[in-house]
Amino acid sequence: MRTIHKILLGVAAWVGVGILLGVAFGSDGKNEEFKPQNEFKLDDWVPLQIGPLDMSINKAVLYLFLASAGTIFAMTWIARRMQDKPNRVQTAVEAAYVLMRDNITKGNMDSRMASRWFAFVGTLFLFIWFSNMIGYLPLPTNTHEKVDVLGFGIPSFALYAATANISIPLVLTLFVWVAYHVEGVRAQGFIPYFKSWIPAGTPGGPMKGVIFVIEVISQFVRIISLSVRLFANILAGHLLILFMAGGLVVLLGLAAIGVFTLPMAIAFYIFEVGLVATLQAFIFATLTSIYFGGATSAHH
Amino acid sequence: MLAVLTFAATEEESGNFLVTPGLGLMIWTLIAFGITYLILRRLAFPRIQEALDRRANAIEESIEHAARTRKEADELLAEYRERLTEAREQADQIIARARKAAENAEREAAAESRQKREELMEQTRRDIEAETRRAIQELRREVADLTVMATERVTRKTLTAEDQRKLVEEALADLDFSALSGGPANGGAER
Repeated sequence: MRTIHKILLGVAAWVGVGILLGVAFGSDGKNEEFKPQNEFKLDDWVPLQIGPLDMSINKAVLYLFLASAGTIFAMTWIARRMQDKPNRVQTAVEAAYVLMRDNITKGNMDSRMASRWFAFVGTLFLFIWFSNMIGYLPLPTNTHEKVDVLGFGIPSFALYAATANISIPLVLTLFVWVAYHVEGVRAQGFIPYFKSWIPAGTPGGPMKGVIFVIEVISQFVRIISLSVRLFANILAGHLLILFMAGGLVVLLGLAAIGVFTLPMAIAFYIFEVGLVATLQAFIFATLTSIYFGGATSAHH
Repeated sequence: MLAVLTFAATEEESGNFLVTPGLGLMIWTLIAFGITYLILRRLAFPRIQEALDRRANAIEESIEHAARTRKEADELLAEYRERLTEAREQADQIIARARKAAENAEREAAAESRQKREELMEQTRRDIEAETRRAIQELRREVADLTVMATERVTRKTLTAEDQRKLVEEALADLDFSALSGGPANGGAER
């Protein structure tokens, strides 16, 4: 009973603060200027045009190289300090390494393929993981909104992630897609590889043709599913955090609802950092492995 | 792709740019990922693999070593047990031999002592016989002297050596000494 009373009292106080703030500040009316999606807009920081290619350096490029540098630094730093009696960090890295090697790679393809593609799949997992995790660090990257500090216009802190931009998961997916088809053709031969798409036991005649068309479509759908799964998960997480941590307050002009949305923002943040970032990296790497394994094993 | 990009540029105010891929960014991605891949493959993964292998080997070796040590210990124990059994057998043998030797010694001692006793007894018997004979001899001489003396008193004459011998012979012929000389000899045989 006492605990229940305490909880009720706490909730009442919380709601009370919300109502008080609502009464005190009222509504500023809807904000039409603020466009939350612009948090993800890429400004050309260093314009770079190579022929028809726009290679301008922007926020996403920065995040890409942050992820790359983070992955390289962390892994080589730990790899150079491998001890026989591991400390906690080394134990965690070893666990991740064993997960990548045994579970993700060897679990889904034969040993010859695993030894050829382990480094790729491992890098994929680590690169996406670092990219996702760096995405939850607030960095001074919002060049739309600058904060004046002693006369210098410092970009305001913002969350962004390379993986929250469709280009990055998509190009990784395209690379994986092309590579596993190439491996499939190498392992089974050109015609047998495409024949292997038709499941064993399919009745002959036109049925085979129909199944083959469906399989071709499903192969192309993989490009969308693999890339969009990662991109949408990370983008949605960032949007939820953005809206709950202040986006809704600004949009609706209601300061009071911040009392209720901020705890949700914290909850979403913990959820994203604690689960989604790692899970999506794991899923991307595992599906890559499964595609490679499926393309190179004889039976479909 | 370029058409899509221009479309994205005009629609920037909406959210379409969020799902519009950019070729430049894709190339940057491949560059960043490629660098990461090459460095990890060359500098990070082999070292981690090596360390894991080294540890696995160390564990394997220590397990093997433990098994070897235990095997050795088992062998040593078996050997000691065997030796212990041997030692026990030897001890038993020694005890048995000692017992036998003791019995022999005892038996020999008993036999020896019996022999000694018999010898002693024989000696004693011989002494008695000798003594008996000497006594008989003395008795005969005594009797002869007494006979001569008695005869001289009766006949008032000195007897010649011939007479004396004859006289003693006659007197002794009547006396039976067999009981004296035979008695102790028989008794000794009986005992």
